[in-house]
Amino acid sequence: AAGPERPQVVSHVQQALSYTVFDCKWVPRSARLLCLGSAARGTGLIQLYELHGARLELLREIEKPKPIKCGTFGATSLQQRYLATGDFDGNLNIWNLEAPEKPVYSVKGHKEIINSIDGVGGLGIGEGAPEIVTGSRDGTVKVWDPRQNDTPVANMEPVQGESKRDCWTVAFGNAYNQEERVVCAGYDNGDIKLFDLKTMSLRWETNIKNGVCSVEFDRKDINMNKLVATSLEGKFHVFDMRTQHPTKGFASVSEKAQKSTIWQVRHLPQNRDIFMTSGGSGSLHLWKYEYPAQRSKKDSEGSEMGVAGSVCLLQNVTLSTQPISSLDWSPDKKGLCVCGAFDQTVRVLIVTKLNKI
Amino acid sequence: MPVWLREHSWRQTLTAVYLSLPLRGARATPANIFCSERYLKVSVPPFLFEAILYAPIDDANSTAKIGNGNIFFTLCKKEPAMWDSLTLANAGKEELQYLRENAVLKVQEKAKEEIEAKKITKQEHKKYALEATMKLEEAERKRIEDLKEKERQKVAKELEFWKNQQKDADKYENLQKKGELHQETEPLNERKNEKMNKTRIPNEGTSKIRLKSTKGHGSCSIFSQNLKEEQLPAPRAAATIKVNFTPRVFPTALRESRVAEEEEWLHKQAEARRIINSDLSELEDLKEEEKNPDWLKDKGNKMFATGNYLGAVNAYNLAVRLNNKLPLLYLNRAACHLKLRNLHKAIEDSSKALELLTPPVPDNENARVKAHVRRGTAFCQLELYAEGLQDYEAALKIDPKNKNIEKDAEKIRHLIQETMPSS
Repeated sequence: AAGPERPQVVSHVQQALSYTVFDCKWVPRSARLLCLGSAARGTGLIQLYELHGARLELLREIEKPKPIKCGTFGATSLQQRYLATGDFDGNLNIWNLEAPEKPVYSVKGHKEIINSIDGVGGLGIGEGAPEIVTGSRDGTVKVWDPRQNDTPVANMEPVQGESKRDCWTVAFGNAYNQEERVVCAGYDNGDIKLFDLKTMSLRWETNIKNGVCSVEFDRKDINMNKLVATSLEGKFHVFDMRTQHPTKGFASVSEKAQKSTIWQVRHLPQNRDIFMTSGGSGSLHLWKYEYPAQRSKKDSEGSEMGVAGSVCLLQNVTLSTQPISSLDWSPDKKGLCVCGAFDQTVRVLIVTKLNKI
Repeated sequence: MPVWLREHSWRQTLTAVYLSLPLRGARATPANIFCSERYLKVSVPPFLFEAILYAPIDDANSTAKIGNGNIFFTLCKKEPAMWDSLTLANAGKEELQYLRENAVLKVQEKAKEEIEAKKITKQEHKKYALEATMKLEEAERKRIEDLKEKERQKVAKELEFWKNQQKDADKYENLQKKGELHQETEPLNERKNEKMNKTRIPNEGTSKIRLKSTKGHGSCSIFSQNLKEEQLPAPRAAATIKVNFTPRVFPTALRESRVAEEEEWLHKQAEARRIINSDLSELEDLKEEEKNPDWLKDKGNKMFATGNYLGAVNAYNLAVRLNNKLPLLYLNRAACHLKLRNLHKAIEDSSKALELLTPPVPDNENARVKAHVRRGTAFCQLELYAEGLQDYEAALKIDPKNKNIEKDAEKIRHLIQETMPSS
C-alpha cells in the first residue's frame, strides 16, 4: 500500500498516570479500559477508565497490597467480566470489579513474581473449560481452573536439580474443541516450549538465541495457525504452526525490527494476519504476514515440513522515549488499541485504514 | 617591436564616433581590445593600435564589432560635440604615459565594481531561491498535517458513534432483563432450549442477540448457570510436566550480542581455575611463602648473585608455573641460562620476556634493553652474528647512550665483516 493508503496510527488520547503501569486491557463489550500497575509506595493499583470523546475519565481506582504485573479477561464470561491478575508476590487473584474488596478466587500460585498471564475459554470465544495460565520468575508455568482451589490443573516445572530460568511470557492456543489446548511459554534464556494439555506432554521446544519477551498465537480458539515470539535485540519470529516436522519442528521467519527489545506482540482480533509489536525505544510497528504459495512441502525423507511466509511492515510510529510495555487491541472496535509505557503514560490509539488491507 | 596600425578610418556624428580598423589578416578577440574613457587600444600581436581620444566617451555603452578582418567601433560620446580629430594630436610622451596608466587603473576599478555587483546579485538570488524552497516545504508539511488532522477527527467521530451504540446496547440490556423477569411462568424446557440455542450462536452476532442470553438478575439465572456448567467439562486432572532448560551459566537473560563477551569471560575463568587446580596437587607440601611468585623471584635473584645458577633457574621455574605472565621471571631466567651456557634456552626466555613486555613504553625500557642484549649475546655465542647484531641494534635504539652496547655492536660488526669475504 502506498503512502496515503497505508494504515495510520493516530494518537487519540494520552493520559499521564502517577504510577508505573505494567499492563492495560480493554474491558470487553465496552469503551472502558483498565490500567494495572505499581504505585510508588509499593502497592498495586487497578484503575478503570472510560473513553469520553478526547479524554479518559477515571471511574474507579482500586488499591491492593502488592503491585500488579499482568491481567486478563480471557477466562471469564461476558456477563461476569471478572479480571484475573498476577502480582509481584506470585498471587493469582480473580476480581469482580463491582465488588473488589475480596477476590472471587485467590491462590498463592508461585514463589516469585508472575510475569505473564493468559486466559482461555471465556468471553464466548473458544470451547472447553475456562482456564488461566501463569508464568513466573520461579521457572514454572501453571494452569489454573477457577473452579478448583489451591492446586493447579497443570504444572510445568523444572526437573529436580535443574537450575531454573525465568519464564517471561505465556499464551494459550489451539483451543478449538473441548479437549484440545496448548500452552506456549517463553523463557529468558531464549527457550520456547509448547506444552500440550490434552496429552500433558512437551510437544515442541526451540531456542531463539535471545530472551523471549512475548509469545502469542494469532487466534486462541482455532487449530493453531501462527505463533509470534518476540525477543531481546529487536528480533521477532513468526512460526507456522500448521505443520510440525518430526525433527525440525515448525518453520519460521524472523525479522529484526529495531535495535531495542520488542516487549509485546498483539494480533488484531478482527484480522489474524495483522499484528503490532511494541518496542523498547517507544515505537510501535504494524506488520502483516503473507502466506507462502504452499504452506507445506515434503522434505527428502517424505515427511511434511512447513513453509514460512513473509512479513511486511505496514506502518511504524514512535510515541515515547520509554519502552511501551503493554498493548491491547479492543475486541469490539477494529483499530482501537491502548498501550502503556514506562513513561507513566497510557495512550489510546486508533489505527486507520485496516479495512483496506 | 609592435607594428603600428595606422590605416584606420573614422567618421562621426554629433553623439557617436564610428571607427573602422582593418586587421590585415590577424584575428582579434574581445580580450585584445582595451578601452577606457579617453584611451583606446587594440593589441593583436604583432599589431598594435593606440588612440588617445579627443574627448571622453562613454565606454560602457560603446561597442566593438569584430569581423571581416576588421574591427568596427561604435563609440558613444560623453558630450555631444563634433571632434576636430579622432585623437589628440599634440599629446606629449609623458601625457601619453599618464593617460595610459590612468586608463588601466580606471578599467581595473570598473572590473572590480562589476565583480562586486555580480556577487551581490548572486547572493540575493540564492536567498530568494532558499526562501522559495522553504515556503514549498512548509506548504507540503502543512498539507500532511491537515490530512492527519482530518483522519483524527474522522476517527474520533466514529469512536463517539460506536460508544453511543454501546450505551444504547447497555440500556437495551437493562430493559431486557426487566422484561424477562416477568416471563418466569414459561415452561422450563422451552427456556432450556432457548438458552442452549442462544449460547451456541457464534460470536459474530450483534450485541443485541448476546444480551438476550445474559441473565444477571432474577430467578432464571440459577437455571442458566447450571446449564452453562453442564456444558463445561470438568476441571482437568492435575498433572505435572517436567521441563529441561537449555543450559546457561549466567543468571541474566540470553542476548545474542553478548554471547562473545560471555564466552571470553568463561574461558578466562576456566583457565584461572585450571592453573590453580594443577598446582594444588603438587604444591601442597610447599610453605605459604614459596607459593608467591615474587618471593620466589627474589630468592632466584639472590641465588644468581651468589653464583648458584641452577638453584636460581629452579626458583624461576616454580615462579613461572604459578604465574606465567611476569616478564621479569623470564628475563632473569635468561640471564641464568646464559651463565650456564644453555644458549637456546636463553634465547627462548628472552623472546618470551620481550613478548610479555609489549606495549613498548618508557616504563619497561630497562627490561627490554636487557632482554635484547641477552638474546643478542646468546646469538653471538652461537655464532649467529647477524641475528645477534639485530638484537644489539634494537637495544641501542631503545637506549642509544649505552657505551657498552655500542662497543659490543661494533665488535659484532667487525666479526661479520671478517667472515663475509670468505663466504
